[in-house]
Amino acid sequence: MASDEEDFVFHGTPIEREEEIASRKKKAVAGASGNLRTLPAWKQEVTDEEGRRRFHGAFTGGYSAGYYNTVGSKDGWAPQSFTSSRKNRAGARKQSISDFLDEDEKADMEGQSLSASSQFDTFGFTAAEYSRKQVEKEQHERPSAIPGPVPDELIAPASESIGVKLLLKMGWRRGHSIKDVRASSGARREARKAFLAFSTDENTKETSDSVVSETEVETSLDPQFSEDIKMSESTPVYVLNPKQDLHGLGYDPFKHAPEFREKKRSRLSANKEAGFRKPLSMKESLFGPKSGKIAPGFGIGALEELDVEDEDVYGGYDFDQTYVIEDEQPAKPSNDNRLRLTSKEHDVLPGFGAAKNSDYSMERFSPPKIPKDFVARHKFSGPLEAETKPTLSAPPDVPPPADNNLKLLIEGFATFVSRCGKLYEDLSREKNQSNQLFDFLRGGNGHEYYARRLWEEQQKRGDQSKLTLDVKPSSSVQKMTAEERGSLLGEKPLQRSLKETDTSASSGGSFQFPTNLSDTFTKSASTQEAADAVKPFKDDPAKQERFEQFLKEKYKGGLRSTDFNRVNSMSESARAQERLDFEAAAEAIEKGKAYKEVRRATERPLDFLAGGLQFTSGGTEQIKDTGVVDMKSSTTYPKREEFQWRPSPLLCKRFDLPDPFMGKLPPAPRARNKMDSLIFLPDTVKAASALSESQEHKKETSIEEPEVEVEVENVERPVDLYKAIFSDDSEDDEDQVMNRKIQEGQEKKNEAAASTLNRLIAGDFLESLGKELGFEVPSDVPYQEGTKPMEKESKSRSKPEGSSDKRPDRSGFKQKVEEKTSSLTLGSEEEKSRKQREKSPRKRSGGNDLSSSESSGDERSKKRSSKMDRYRNNDSESDSSSDYHSRDKQSSRSRRKRRESSREKRNSHKKHSKHHRSKKSSSSKLVYSSDEDRKESKREKRRRRD
Amino acid sequence: MSATAELPTKEAHVLKGHEGAVLAARFNGDGNYALTCGKDRTIRLWNPHRGILIKTYKSHGREVRDVHVTSDNAKFCSCGGDRQVYYWDVSTGRVIRKFRGHDGEVNAVKFNDSSSVVVSAGFDRSLRVWDCRSHSVEPVQIIDTFLDTVMSVVLTKTEIIGGSVDGTVRTFDMRIGREMSDNLGQPVNCISISNDGNCVLAGCLDSTLRLLDRTTGELLQVYKGHISKSFKTDCCLTNSDAHVIGGSEDGLVFFWDLVDAKVVSKFRAHDLVVTSVSYHPKEDCMLTSSVDGTIRVWKK
Repeated sequence: MASDEEDFVFHGTPIEREEEIASRKKKAVAGASGNLRTLPAWKQEVTDEEGRRRFHGAFTGGYSAGYYNTVGSKDGWAPQSFTSSRKNRAGARKQSISDFLDEDEKADMEGQSLSASSQFDTFGFTAAEYSRKQVEKEQHERPSAIPGPVPDELIAPASESIGVKLLLKMGWRRGHSIKDVRASSGARREARKAFLAFSTDENTKETSDSVVSETEVETSLDPQFSEDIKMSESTPVYVLNPKQDLHGLGYDPFKHAPEFREKKRSRLSANKEAGFRKPLSMKESLFGPKSGKIAPGFGIGALEELDVEDEDVYGGYDFDQTYVIEDEQPAKPSNDNRLRLTSKEHDVLPGFGAAKNSDYSMERFSPPKIPKDFVARHKFSGPLEAETKPTLSAPPDVPPPADNNLKLLIEGFATFVSRCGKLYEDLSREKNQSNQLFDFLRGGNGHEYYARRLWEEQQKRGDQSKLTLDVKPSSSVQKMTAEERGSLLGEKPLQRSLKETDTSASSGGSFQFPTNLSDTFTKSASTQEAADAVKPFKDDPAKQERFEQFLKEKYKGGLRSTDFNRVNSMSESARAQERLDFEAAAEAIEKGKAYKEVRRATERPLDFLAGGLQFTSGGTEQIKDTGVVDMKSSTTYPKREEFQWRPSPLLCKRFDLPDPFMGKLPPAPRARNKMDSLIFLPDTVKAASALSESQEHKKETSIEEPEVEVEVENVERPVDLYKAIFSDDSEDDEDQVMNRKIQEGQEKKNEAAASTLNRLIAGDFLESLGKELGFEVPSDVPYQEGTKPMEKESKSRSKPEGSSDKRPDRSGFKQKVEEKTSSLTLGSEEEKSRKQREKSPRKRSGGNDLSSSESSGDERSKKRSSKMDRYRNNDSESDSSSDYHSRDKQSSRSRRKRRESSREKRNSHKKHSKHHRSKKSSSSKLVYSSDEDRKESKREKRRRRD
Repeated sequence: MSATAELPTKEAHVLKGHEGAVLAARFNGDGNYALTCGKDRTIRLWNPHRGILIKTYKSHGREVRDVHVTSDNAKFCSCGGDRQVYYWDVSTGRVIRKFRGHDGEVNAVKFNDSSSVVVSAGFDRSLRVWDCRSHSVEPVQIIDTFLDTVMSVVLTKTEIIGGSVDGTVRTFDMRIGREMSDNLGQPVNCISISNDGNCVLAGCLDSTLRLLDRTTGELLQVYKGHISKSFKTDCCLTNSDAHVIGGSEDGLVFFWDLVDAKVVSKFRAHDLVVTSVSYHPKEDCMLTSSVDGTIRVWKK
């Protein structure tokens, strides 16, 4: 056997015998058996002979992973994640073999499918295809040789020239120089032939390598150079890309920040010409700031939109901009002409020298000569002529013709002509050649009179135009004033006093007309002189001016000028405020008060001018003086109002305070805001319009009342108004009405539930209070249930309404009038308020009796409705709200919450209209808020849509 | 000028680190540390007496407008342009809770004495009270009687006081369940309470600070001279209640005598708008922050 084996030559490894493998396996298993038993089944690993983890192959999940060799996780096989077929249909996935192969298997596969890459496939199809595509692409870029649409099938771009084809046939390969071909003389001859063919071919067809081939043609003619030239089909055409920067060779400053390259290029191209490159603009917009000033130092997320609030309100501080500093600045080619010469120098034919100075010179044409008498201004030939050129000599004054009709005609015609110009006269003369009536045009009857009239008219018009010119010589923008317009329309110019013109001229010509008009209606009053002398607003000339204007209007009556829109910078309320100031000042002047007093009277409101308006006058004044002013103003301004406010029980708990409303009704919705916004002006505006003491008092009461006492049944709500404005939430209104009714019912219930003791105490207290004041107190006070006697009198005084739960009366409105008078008669304010409070419960109680009986009926009838149930639910809950927060959250509660929140929303957006108005005045300059103003309104709109 | 000698007018440290405007700088309860916040969306914890930055807190999505620390220095809250109130753990720097609910930017936050609730004042014209004790993220209470942006909020043991652009300073007294509205007629920018708790100082946007008596609502004094017309600038009282401090939009800081309203001292603290002033609870030390990105510590 041994000798036998020596005779053979073995290749490869022999296939192992079955038995041998089996035995080795047995051994391995025996070795591992100790481990196997201890491990849980899913943790056992399958190993091969050498103890390596066994590899199962692609289809069995790679390594045997445990879990009974199924999957790699305890959770089991995760199916393909579900995709909703509604939105994106799962397309039929195309499977290929590579999906199922492992990396190494793929590598194996790759090895099998070796193929020549296009680069080396000289004769193969791929190269041809490749070049054909290349050509096609290029052809798309350049204009077609045949104009008009040509079907693509007809003209297929030639991928390679016939010459190249021939060359290839002869054994030339792309990328190689022709020189190689020269090796044998025969081959060289062939090559020459091919080249000739190539060059002749070149003229007839368009190919991709036109540039290259052109040079080839040239050089092929020249035997010296032909050898050196390479056929560089596949080698790139040398692109002239001069190095213009001062960096080192190969240094790329933008290597790690390509976006700056774009930036720089754009800057360069912007320098050179527009429309050089487009595609970078998008990128730029990505990186560049989009709008306005953005707060520096940090950016916002890519997904966030730039918002108003991202703008830097604190502008003015420049944080260093991050620029890549570029030190290089390419030397610009200075002159085109010289460039041409130098460029010529490079490619002069051998034996020739470049011309030192080129023959070519630009022919220049000198600009046309302007005639000396040329005036660079356009003149209108027609009507203006008549105006500008004054009639030299006045025609003699002639008595009008006896014929009245003729006289009228002449006068009318004269005015017309003066307005429209001489042209019109000529025209009508021609037109009315035969007309007897127009004889006066041709020197007939009444011609003198006509001439005179015409002259007069022209004179008048000349004055006007001169005047208008005088009035506004400073204004660069030629605007049509009312006067001009009037004169164009043929309105009669009004007579004016000289003085008037002066003032109006100073105040800007555009408002002359109305003031003139008012002047014509009224005569100048003496008070104006007084005001002029006094000048209460001398600190602020603009304001003083406005004040004078105001005085003029006030005392002279007539038409009101629309002067106010001139002061665009002033807000609405500031304007109103100013007007009030003016009123006050004017009144003071009128009464002939001393200057000082006037000053003070006007100073006071100045300090409280709303909006961002600043008045420097206050600062310069003596401290004492401001003290006086403040004392005065303090009577109006730090104005205290008190409302009921119900802290939530949890809040009280967190502050470690006893809940003052423990065991009482939940607060009624605050209707105050709604009322306010619909009926009253915003507080600030209201307060601003404090004119005199008495008025102030009235106002205060009127303000207080709606706020302290809100909503009562027997006042008809201006529902129509609500609906007109907020028609979309009519349902909610309905809800509210219901709500109110229910609350009444609930009150009644509460009443029953309330302890009689409490009532007695409260009643006693009220009674005693009433006695003190000499009022009659109703014995039956239904609202006193929950009140505890308070330790302080002031607190307890406020209590009755407090317990009455905020909803007492709208009838306060009706009462208001009577009360106002009554309160005025009462001396002190305290007494007044006390009286109100005495009164209101009385009324309330009456009203309540009525309404409660009503509502109880209502309640019965509506018990079925689900809405009712809802309310009842939360009523009952709040009834026993002593253990309010210990309750677990019920659905009803959350529902109520929702309701509350919706109510809030509604309230808030009802507030909005008012809010905005007041805001314009008060917070327009406040940066935080004004920023958001726009957004807020947007939000509001959205809400309203909901 | 013995009066000025008492005042912290010497610059002790400049705290740099914020990128962009610093919107608020606040001492902690004992005055050993300071928290600042700004346009760069960060809150920074400093030791102002040594001038070192201790920690930076990042989580806000937009600028941070106000910050307040609990009395035990364990937690703090912040608010800002992202409409949320953040409740932070000081040491770990983690956000414990985020309170969402404001419809607009939140201008100011304050803890109450026991640090059980956070009260925030928002652009949505509301004050919201958030509970820190429970896990609820719903507001405990929403006070929405303001007619305009609420700029500032101050808490006492029993009251919540808010200052609004509608010109009112409203005091919500939890003991009696009343709201006292003091209308100043001018947008209120910042309010701060005197250390004795009797007065409230309201910085108004007519470049005036007004001192109100809290019990009567009476105007006690008016302080003028600085500029405050369009930015949120703070004002406060010294810890002795002897002087009133106000930042100005031209970078100055003003000291007024509380009683006679004279400008006792003014000096240039920053180049740009002084956004915030905070006075040390015990010592004569003051923090100012500015739009120029710095916080300065001032001492005697």
